[in-house]
Amino acid sequence: MPLGGVIFITAFIAVFGVILIFLARAIGGMAKRSSKAKMEIYECGIEEIEKKDTKISVKFYLTAILFILFDIEIIFMYPWAVNFRNFISGGAGAYVFVSMLVFLAIFIFGLWWEIKSKALEWD
Amino acid sequence: MSSMGTTGFEITVNLIKTVLVFLMMVQAVPILVWLERRGSAFIQNRFGPNRVGPLGLVQLLADAVKFLNKEDFVPDKANRFLFYAAPVFALIPAAIAYMAIPMSVPLIIGDSKFLIQGYEVNVGIVFILGISSLAAYTILMAGWGSGSKFSLMGAMRASAQIISYELALGLSIVGVILMYGTFNLTEMIQQQQGPLHFTGFGYESYIPWLPNWGIFFQPVGAIIFFAAAFAESNRLPFDLAEGEAELVAGFHTEYGGFKMLMFFIGEYGHMMIASGLMTTFFFGGYLIPGLTPNDVYQMGLNWFGSETGANIFNSVAHFLSYNVKFAIFLWIFIHVRWTLPRFRYDQLMDLGWKTMLPWALANTIITAAIIFAANYFVL
Amino acid sequence: MSADAFLFWFLSLLVLVSGLSVVLLTNPVYSALCLAMTMVGVSALFVTLNAYFLAGVQLIVYAGAVMVLFVMVLMLFDLKHETQAFTRGKITGAIKIASVGILAGLVVGAITIGKSLENIKAVADNAQAADTTKILSENLFLKNVFGFEALGVLLLVIAVGTVALSRSKGGTHAK
Repeated sequence: MPLGGVIFITAFIAVFGVILIFLARAIGGMAKRSSKAKMEIYECGIEEIEKKDTKISVKFYLTAILFILFDIEIIFMYPWAVNFRNFISGGAGAYVFVSMLVFLAIFIFGLWWEIKSKALEWD
Repeated sequence: MSSMGTTGFEITVNLIKTVLVFLMMVQAVPILVWLERRGSAFIQNRFGPNRVGPLGLVQLLADAVKFLNKEDFVPDKANRFLFYAAPVFALIPAAIAYMAIPMSVPLIIGDSKFLIQGYEVNVGIVFILGISSLAAYTILMAGWGSGSKFSLMGAMRASAQIISYELALGLSIVGVILMYGTFNLTEMIQQQQGPLHFTGFGYESYIPWLPNWGIFFQPVGAIIFFAAAFAESNRLPFDLAEGEAELVAGFHTEYGGFKMLMFFIGEYGHMMIASGLMTTFFFGGYLIPGLTPNDVYQMGLNWFGSETGANIFNSVAHFLSYNVKFAIFLWIFIHVRWTLPRFRYDQLMDLGWKTMLPWALANTIITAAIIFAANYFVL
Repeated sequence: MSADAFLFWFLSLLVLVSGLSVVLLTNPVYSALCLAMTMVGVSALFVTLNAYFLAGVQLIVYAGAVMVLFVMVLMLFDLKHETQAFTRGKITGAIKIASVGILAGLVVGAITIGKSLENIKAVADNAQAADTTKILSENLFLKNVFGFEALGVLLLVIAVGTVALSRSKGGTHAK
């Protein structure tokens, strides 16, 4: 795998991006006339109010954790899929297929339970 | 470093090739934006930009110059380092992943063999998926670095959408890997040569007038992959996280000028990766339907007489074939954007988790069952 | 210096520097992003050891899923108070000095034990490592099937536990 090539092109793109940003700053000019209204963030014209006790919904956390779990299960399917034909020609096809079916059954049960318990409802 | 060539000459050529592929990606963005603006205009029964240059082709160059002239502006509460780092980081995953996609038959000149792609990765598809999943960091850095609640919520929703559809994307590819038994993209393309043939259940069948492309074996997988790719690059109908009427402009609300253009280069880069992968998995990659690369090489030998000429002709012909398929998919991306209305966010998440994931699972199980049955039972 | 050695030193330096930055930077979001960079560096180190599939998996799962979770959750909170909490004070200074000492001790210990194990060479040359994915899948699905299925059950338990945790009292999804 061309690791040196990947590192080289990453460094090249990073340098390219930084040069572009400096070019934009040089040509366009940095913020000269800064007024209070210009430096504020966009809020449709109203001044920003910061509430102290905002509760952040837990659904982002839930989505991310469930994504990790199902991603790991999908990762397990990759070496199985790559070698499935080799296993079949080697004679262990049924064994490998059934074991993956059991794993998928657990996966599907988890998915079904999680859908049924409304864990991922976005209102 | 070793697979970037053995002699100094090869290493230099390969490194320059990666730079060329990156510049090709950056250069394709103005063309795509022109296509999008004129194409959308024709869909909406109006003229697009047609003043600057012939057919409005120079419009994007004028836009780029205009963007360069904009003031470089960082809002008050923003985190300066992340605010500047996010657009630069937007270019990196898209470019690195695109370079692993084979665009043509390798060019053999004398002793050295030059691949027509940035570099070849032997675990191609796992590498591409891993690098595309780093795209979530761009959005998070941009959203949080802007220091604004609109941007932050837009970034959270966009990254939640991206990670949800990454599941369907990864799972729809398992069917393709089952079919071809390899992660390597070049080998997948080579297995799609020749006429459509199905080996199993004890007999072989050939359909001579259809090519052996993946779409005939994995239609459901192709549809799921394509739809998930829309969500991955935040294109309509999945672009609620940056939709104009909902969250101003989502995670790039506070960006202006050239930094915003760099986000768009990243988004079009992801679109190009999705189109490239669609042609590689399901439409034969750089292969020309009806002709194997050997046939094209023989044709080149007949026309040019020398081996070098035939090799160059071979690579160029296949590169053109790849580009035609690639352009068709990019056009489909653009066309769908201006045709379908946008999904609401909860509909979007429901679609990803409750519809696409079960369908992709069913596709995998049925594909595996058919492959297993085809090798064990004789009809 | 050969290309392989240069890559190894560069990547090790990258991993060490980002690892140290995770602990030494005060802004928690920066720490999480440096941890993501560490994961990417470790994935590259896997490539130099010819474990290509594992490198891809490290990228997909660690750098692309787990660290995205960390960064998402850290960005949602306003952590100014926590940023200031552990930077000053006598007890904090003592803890910092003690942890530097422990780290130095671990590094010296690792180097001396590593020198005594120099004669044991691992099998990692190109020809034998060409098909690591095949060997991995053989080990996983033929020899360790029970572990593989148990892992599925473990993931299910994690899913149920997470949903139950998200419904605890006082949160937004409380029952």
